[in-house]
Amino acid sequence: MTEPSQARHLLDPASQRLACGAGVDELLEQVADGDADRPNSHQRTCPHCQAAIAEFRLLWAPVQDYARQPVSLPQRLRRSVLQEVDRLVHDVWYTLHLTDTGAIRVAARVVAAIARDAAGRVPGVRVALGRSTESRIAELVARATSGHLHPHAAVGVLGRTAVIDLALAVSYGEPVHVVAHEVQRRVIAELKQNVGLQSVIVNVTVDDVSPLSAE
Amino acid sequence: MSQDGGADGFDDGYLVRRAQEGYLDAYAELVNRHSLLAYRVALRILGHQQDAEDVAQDALVTAWQQLPQFRGESSFSTWLYRIVTRRAVNRINRDRRHNSTDVLTEVADDSSRTEIAFERNETVDAVTRAIQALPPTQRVVVVLHHLEGLSYADVAAITASSVPAVRTQLYRARRALGSALADWR
Repeated sequence: MTEPSQARHLLDPASQRLACGAGVDELLEQVADGDADRPNSHQRTCPHCQAAIAEFRLLWAPVQDYARQPVSLPQRLRRSVLQEVDRLVHDVWYTLHLTDTGAIRVAARVVAAIARDAAGRVPGVRVALGRSTESRIAELVARATSGHLHPHAAVGVLGRTAVIDLALAVSYGEPVHVVAHEVQRRVIAELKQNVGLQSVIVNVTVDDVSPLSAE
Repeated sequence: MSQDGGADGFDDGYLVRRAQEGYLDAYAELVNRHSLLAYRVALRILGHQQDAEDVAQDALVTAWQQLPQFRGESSFSTWLYRIVTRRAVNRINRDRRHNSTDVLTEVADDSSRTEIAFERNETVDAVTRAIQALPPTQRVVVVLHHLEGLSYADVAAITASSVPAVRTQLYRARRALGSALADWR
């Protein structure tokens, strides 16, 4: 085996090849990539290559040991990240559209107002309210929109995506599923066209009917 | 590249799509899955626990903020590797400017910088010092390829480089690391 000083000499930038012509970098790469035990036909019979591979194997062993050392995740990291994300969602609840000329942000309450207005203009819809009927979303939305003018607007926005929960009261006698479908279609079209959103999901819950006499 | 599905059956792609729709729970699961990756890579590049924690947190929050622009052309983990390594290199450059001294000298002189989440032993200290003596670009490719086990192609994708360029950086980095370890040995 070569002495450490010889290994140091081999790794000198001026040293490119062994006496047999084999490249120093290629041999070190072979060892570092864990292929020291796969010599090619030349290396199987070349004492220069065998000595260099053996030396490099010793040299690189600490790096391989280091790679195997387990790393413990600090307990607080995940919590800190999620608290910061939660703060961002709470404080900055806007759509975001990055353009060549700058960023366009539209507050979630504006999205909610447009959605409610579009839904309210669908024939057969008596009342359209933004609210969540699903407890997990409701909790998220309530927290995220607590500072808004319309705190119960059930709108989740991120980038150019919005998820909207609408609760409808429809006129008695109207085909409910047709009205609900039309609400989805119009709200999606309105928000894509007038807010510039790319992806809109509208969850509709019909939870009341208004008698015709109410008209 | 790395795991793209969790034990609960949801793959990362699904969670990314749900997070893009605004579901915080989906992003929380992504954080659960990938925060160790972010921290480990930052720690190996920076060699210091508190700096690594700061960089990992910054990267994971940045990932959330940039999620709308993530088009899924790579895996979430590849994308996160990219954010973490950029943040770590920025941290090195910022510290260099701030201290107006060479990080290599600082690291060599201050053993408290090479401490930490690893179980301390001489080998870890020696390799940590040797890695931190490398220029930032070489540190990144060594960590990604030799410590994280990523392919040249993956490293090239993460560093916005090419496979031949990664290979050249690794040639130089291995010589420098080998020389430092030969001196230590």
